[in-house]
Amino acid sequence: MKLPKLREVAEAVSALVHRPYTSSFPRVPHVANPKFRGQPKYDPDQCVGCLACEQVCPVEALGHRDEVSGGGGRRVLIHYSDTCIFCGCCEAACIADHRGIRLSTDWDLAFFDRKTESFETIEKELTLCESCGTVIACRDHLRWIAERLGELAFSSPTLYQSRLAALGIVDANIVAALRDQGRSDRMKILCARCRRQATLTTA
Amino acid sequence: MSRDEVLRKVRERFAASIVEIVDRSPRRVYLEVQSDALVPVATYLFGELGARFNIASGVDTPTHMEILYHFTIEEIDLLVSVRVKLDRDRPSIDTLSGVIKGANWIEREMHELLGIDFRGHPRLKRLLLPDSWPEGVHPLKQDYREWDTTAVRDRGV
Amino acid sequence: MGHNRRARQGGVMGKTVISIGPFHPLQEEPELFTLTVEGEKVVGIDLHLGYNHRGIEKLSESKTFDQSTFVIERICGICSTSHPFAYTRAVEDVIGVEEPERARYIRTIIAEGERIHSHLLWVGLAGHFLGYNTVYMWVWKLREEILDVMEMLSGNRNNYAMFKPGGVRRDIDPDVIPVALRKIDGILPTLDMLRKAILDDPVLHARLKGVGVLTREEAIAWCAVGPTSRASGVARDVRKDSPYAAYDRVPWKMITAQEGDVFAKAVVRIMELYESVAIVKECLKSLPGGPIDLDLKGVPPGEGIGVHEAPRGEVFHYVRSDGTNRPVRHKVRAPSFMNIPTCTSTVVGESISDASIILASVDPCYCCTERLAVRTPEGRRLYTGPDLVRLSQEQTRRLRKEMGL
Repeated sequence: MKLPKLREVAEAVSALVHRPYTSSFPRVPHVANPKFRGQPKYDPDQCVGCLACEQVCPVEALGHRDEVSGGGGRRVLIHYSDTCIFCGCCEAACIADHRGIRLSTDWDLAFFDRKTESFETIEKELTLCESCGTVIACRDHLRWIAERLGELAFSSPTLYQSRLAALGIVDANIVAALRDQGRSDRMKILCARCRRQATLTTA
Repeated sequence: MSRDEVLRKVRERFAASIVEIVDRSPRRVYLEVQSDALVPVATYLFGELGARFNIASGVDTPTHMEILYHFTIEEIDLLVSVRVKLDRDRPSIDTLSGVIKGANWIEREMHELLGIDFRGHPRLKRLLLPDSWPEGVHPLKQDYREWDTTAVRDRGV
Repeated sequence: MGHNRRARQGGVMGKTVISIGPFHPLQEEPELFTLTVEGEKVVGIDLHLGYNHRGIEKLSESKTFDQSTFVIERICGICSTSHPFAYTRAVEDVIGVEEPERARYIRTIIAEGERIHSHLLWVGLAGHFLGYNTVYMWVWKLREEILDVMEMLSGNRNNYAMFKPGGVRRDIDPDVIPVALRKIDGILPTLDMLRKAILDDPVLHARLKGVGVLTREEAIAWCAVGPTSRASGVARDVRKDSPYAAYDRVPWKMITAQEGDVFAKAVVRIMELYESVAIVKECLKSLPGGPIDLDLKGVPPGEGIGVHEAPRGEVFHYVRSDGTNRPVRHKVRAPSFMNIPTCTSTVVGESISDASIILASVDPCYCCTERLAVRTPEGRRLYTGPDLVRLSQEQTRRLRKEMGL
């Protein structure tokens, strides 16, 4: 047998002498690179519930369910971990300064029960039409829009009432005073259809 | 040989069969020819101009079935796409695999995905679709509808 | 061993049909090759594909242009950025724009990083097929360094999600560049050692030279692309013939060989590794400033073509748009589509023990050799398991013994 070449021997010896290249996972946990694209996580305080992430997701890994009951409503935002491809489109599309949903570095996502563990949810409060009861948008989303429109928010009672409520100004008195003028519907928080009806009909 | 020379020669040689030449950009030319002239044009591009056959792409449009044969002439950085328009109901054209061996597989693929018949192809059998796929159902056609009612299409949650 | 004797007695005069594939736990992708052999020599080959057909072209028609990039990325795991590269170039061709300078350099860095890890993967697999399992392990250990660099730059080891029509999605952090350069420089000594070990080895010369020759005429007739054709003397490379991104802004050489055999293909891939390392280093050092994205708003009606030199050859995307936000037609042609049929010319006439390495030498993106099942005409299976690989490894051992090593 011909003797192996010296350079290969050098590599073999150094491989023997050094510790193994592989880490002793799982005894030594693996910490991912800070730039690693891992599991997206909602931030309930930052998220406004606009559903932009759901629209841009290439694989439909984000969904939602609107639950309306007894005069109030909540929007359940769902992220399906087993469908997600960790592309970051949701974070890039998030209107709340890319903070409503962010990619963490979590990579250890295996689960046993698909029916309960394969998705994560948060809930946001919904604003409903005071006239017909349909869903307008999430309360935080209306506030977000009103904040950014500045003085133009006062063109729509839905928007400015949301803004004033966020500032803690609106209370029953203001609304009650307006109600007596007979044009009370126009001062309500309305969905687009009801608002059109309230503005255009003369009755 | 420059880009303009190539176009001039093709125009001279196949004047009767050329429908339209679209000069899209310095690197792209779209050349529409009659379907019976495809093999002579391709032979000329491949044989005499030394172009490399890239691939062919079939497209189903509302009015006709179209095939684009893409050739690259590397020396002048030009991609010539030869377009032929076929009848939508019974699309049929002579095979190119006799002239260019590399066209064999793509014609099989277009046959099963779009239903185009390549006359004279040595072995027009399925390439990509499974054997259990029904006959006459061509996925890339615009009127394709899902035929498998037993397929599961939910999230499983 | 008793099986072998029975096989020879039964089929020594007639032809035996060997099917390789389609499913085997050790292989990444399924594909079925049917070899017709007489004794030890292959006289015919037939390929059956479609086990991994996922309907990507049809799927792309139901996604928006931006979303389609992610579907396209997952056509292949190893060359996962080549497809988005060609696709985004095709969409940009429809509109008639080109990406900004900084985006060009970032695209080049990602594409060349992918070429490095893809070629290293092939070298490892080739080593495994030939019986050099140490080469396999060492090369894949080296590959980890590159994958770490890709994770630093893009956030993932594969499926980088960096490309979008108009530019790139994420910028490269300037803090990361020195670390990445250090890691890339760190692979060069081991790369040198591997190159010399592989290219100087007399056993490999005997084993691979003259095996699976694809002549220049055959390469042109089959329209082969990439290292498969460059190893046969066809000096074609999209990066040189039709420069794009930053390939005409940094110096590098195209690698060719003349013999067209498996050894030449290995040489071409190994030398291309050095060129890719040089390109990545130069791009990282001279990364210009500026925007990374054109921020495209819509795609007008029209058609466009985008090409890119993937590790396996030219990848070709054709996109047709009708003015909506979804492609009307998206044609994808992977380089292996043109390269795999060349096996009809290269495998026929060779022996079975060489079949696996010849099939692997085009670096198919859907894999090749796997389960070897030798059947008699009555259908009785004679061999089981990964015998083809074992045959190949035994051939190497035999050669080594003959050479007195």
